[in-house]
Amino acid sequence: MAAEDLSEARAALSLLRSRLCNSSFYSKPPSNSSDSNYSKLKFIISSSVTEACNNSILLLGPRGSGKMAVLELVLQDLLLEYPDMITVIRLSGLLHCDDNGAFKEIARQLCSEYQLLFSKMASFDDNSKFMIAMLRECGLAHKTIVFVLDEFDLFAQGKQRLLYSLLDAMQSVSSQAIVIGISCRLDADQLLEKRVRSRFSHRKLLFLPLCKEDVERLLEDILSLPIDSDLPHDYIIKFNAKLHNMLANERFKKIINTYLDSDSTVKQFVRYLFCAISKMDLKSGLLTVENFEHALSDIQRQPKQEYIKADCSILELYILVCMKRLEVKEQNSYNFNSVMKEYKSIHDSFRTSDYYSRSVCLRAFEHLLQRELICFADNRGHTQSIEFRPAKLLITSHELHHGLKAYRSCPVILQKLMN
Amino acid sequence: MSKEEDTKATRRTTRSSSAAVLRDSGEIKKKCDPHIPSFNDLVFGEDTISKEDLLSNFPGRHTQILELLNLLGPLNSPMLPLFVYGGTSTGKTSVILQIFRHLNRPFVYSSCRTCYSLRTLFESILNQLLLHQKDADNGYLSAKRCEKTSDFVNFLREALVKVVKTLQGNPGKIGTKKLTGQGHGHMIYLIVDNLELVRDWDKSSSILPFLFNLHEVLNMNEVGFLFISNTSPDTYYSNMGYLDPIPVYFSEYTEDDLRKIFIRNQTNQEMYSSFLSVVLGPFYRITRHVNELSIAFSSLYKIYCEASDDLNDVPNESSKRARFSRFQPHISPALNQIFKISSPPSEVNTLKEAKRKAGSKKFGGCDSSEHLDFHMSTSAKYLLLSAFLASRNPATLDASLFDSTGGSSSRKRKKRPSEKSIEQKEISEQELLMKGPGTFPLERLLAIFQCITSVAEISLEDDQGNVAMDSQNEDSELMSDVLLQLSSLCNANFVVKGGSCPLEGSTRYRSTVSEDMALKVARSIKFPLSKYMYRR
Repeated sequence: MAAEDLSEARAALSLLRSRLCNSSFYSKPPSNSSDSNYSKLKFIISSSVTEACNNSILLLGPRGSGKMAVLELVLQDLLLEYPDMITVIRLSGLLHCDDNGAFKEIARQLCSEYQLLFSKMASFDDNSKFMIAMLRECGLAHKTIVFVLDEFDLFAQGKQRLLYSLLDAMQSVSSQAIVIGISCRLDADQLLEKRVRSRFSHRKLLFLPLCKEDVERLLEDILSLPIDSDLPHDYIIKFNAKLHNMLANERFKKIINTYLDSDSTVKQFVRYLFCAISKMDLKSGLLTVENFEHALSDIQRQPKQEYIKADCSILELYILVCMKRLEVKEQNSYNFNSVMKEYKSIHDSFRTSDYYSRSVCLRAFEHLLQRELICFADNRGHTQSIEFRPAKLLITSHELHHGLKAYRSCPVILQKLMN
Repeated sequence: MSKEEDTKATRRTTRSSSAAVLRDSGEIKKKCDPHIPSFNDLVFGEDTISKEDLLSNFPGRHTQILELLNLLGPLNSPMLPLFVYGGTSTGKTSVILQIFRHLNRPFVYSSCRTCYSLRTLFESILNQLLLHQKDADNGYLSAKRCEKTSDFVNFLREALVKVVKTLQGNPGKIGTKKLTGQGHGHMIYLIVDNLELVRDWDKSSSILPFLFNLHEVLNMNEVGFLFISNTSPDTYYSNMGYLDPIPVYFSEYTEDDLRKIFIRNQTNQEMYSSFLSVVLGPFYRITRHVNELSIAFSSLYKIYCEASDDLNDVPNESSKRARFSRFQPHISPALNQIFKISSPPSEVNTLKEAKRKAGSKKFGGCDSSEHLDFHMSTSAKYLLLSAFLASRNPATLDASLFDSTGGSSSRKRKKRPSEKSIEQKEISEQELLMKGPGTFPLERLLAIFQCITSVAEISLEDDQGNVAMDSQNEDSELMSDVLLQLSSLCNANFVVKGGSCPLEGSTRYRSTVSEDMALKVARSIKFPLSKYMYRR
């Protein structure tokens, strides 16, 4: 190693990484805009807090579009603005989708919030009664309880008892609560039962993927180093100059657009940036276009084609080609035995050098199964041995064709057999 | 695998070193003072290795190691979850563990293979975080009992907060033996190995999104997640969706990489490289798995070396050529073999293995010897044959095939092959290939067994003209403990117990032996098997 890693480069990298991992950093909206989701949400929640009314909202948008991050920002601000007036109860559909567990979790969080004794043994009924009593007490004390239901669609499975009793309790005048559902399903409110839906105020906030201006702003915000940090001043100047240079670069814009074509939610974009900046050369300490170019190929992988291109041995390719030929012949189902028959007929007609015994082929077949390039056509018949279970290809002939072309030193005969 | 030998006695039982740990530390620990768990346990537990050592320990993995180091980042910097995938024996687990040894950062490793259910996985992670050791004092119980994901998240958050606080609190005190300047940091990494197995667990459709979203749910910057899987990310279908972790791909080794791997830790490098130049090419066309290649090479290398007396002998050109010509005939049979019994077939161990393997793998086809490679009692052989016949032949033909006189006189004459019958034959052949051996109830097996043993007696009498006494003896011997024999055949995987018949409700069996194998068994007891096989 000729040059040592720069310590300031390391510090800068750490700074950038912590920015990318901190969702409240990059989901902060530009301060001037008034119709961002952030301000809308803040308005709705703060007005229900101040006016002491009940409310329910759905935050909808594709996965990774920053719904939770924006909500967290709003809640953080409001907790500072109205201290001792807001209690936040967080539930996730992944964790608490059964009603019993959900009520227990609500009771647990309420207890820890108000320093009450939480009983693990409390029954479903106890917990739900406790919740309703707490709602009333809080309402009388003018305290708002905010229920955040992540993965809202999962709560709509089953009998929806949790949703019903929550929303039903909110119908009374004495209670003061807000239910915020977060879901990736845009039809989340259609999943609700009639009795639940009628109690739900149909407020929805839609979170959209990034638009072009957002992306430019994000790139600038995230990647540039702050002037007033403890990093050496000339390094910061150098870094930011290089960054601006790069942001204006046409090639760089093209790379970013290629990425955004496939994925344009905030989280996905941040993940891509994370991948790119982790490639930063610590010796020079500057970001380059190549970093972003390599990150693009690293993150947009095509595992199946890579498997064929780099992982499969020639015998495995033979088996894949045999299976493909069987599919072309429109045999409705085939198994290892029929593949072997095809393999043998290829060998008989072309006299290939790659003809191996049945057991060796079976092992290669098992490798393909393990890699999930092929799979069994049905889940039945576990008692049958592998040779007899019907199999099918999991790759298209197009993928196979491209894989064979890219394969180093692929036997010519295989390509010929594909056609 | 030679490259993994240097992870000898780690505290953590990785796949490769579990045996070594048992031998080295396990017993000693019991006798000596009990190991007091501390936060030092969360790092690799051995002296760190330098980056150069790390890279040279894993030939052919440079790009992957550098990529992982980049993604893990400098000390104390947060990270997004990683998804490491690649085929078997591409060094995923060992590379990651050695990277953590190099970085000397605390981590928690649990494999979904040893933690076979959600509960054991949760408890294993929590035990390691809470520095809990199962022993006689606590009745080998886990630190926390948790089955539900919601409980797990609460416990995990609690434990992580505690660990991170400790790590942040005294960065100097912990880790007294490690290098200065390269501290533990206050990041803790959770590694989940063999993630592909989770897909077969109960409720996997909700577990997988949960595991992938755990990072979001916890929302703690001090925790890094690494998932290791055999299969690519696109095999984790889920209609719920999750934010994809960053993929890191471990490709199979190239031919050059394999050469570098195999040449490591060889005493006679020259000899081995000339050996590799002969065998690696052909074997590389079949498989690229290091573990499979190393098994094949170890026995071949012995043959290759046989000619020279001195193993340290340096081969020159002419001897190389001579050796090659002598060695060449061994290559192609070895290519067609997937496993080999190296010791003479008198040892019990190899016998058992042979028996077991025979059921599932059915031996290499090249095995042309007349003798069976394993021992089996005569009655078991008859039983095996009758199971084979019962699987092969349609039940309706039993009566005509097994006449009590045992003669073939009553068999149906073969029809003259007409156009139609040939076509039919092809279809039925296809069907046989597709369907595999049929199932049969126990009664049918016993009936056939009785028939063919009685035939055997007659033929015995015919051949030797023996007295009736002998055959009587034979009879009782053959009929003894048939059911016991059947269950041992089942255990040896020659006969598989299938699902029960929906109409009769009794268990049905299926024979898995191939025709070659059955013929071989028949030959060993001089039984005319082909006479009883129904040819379609």
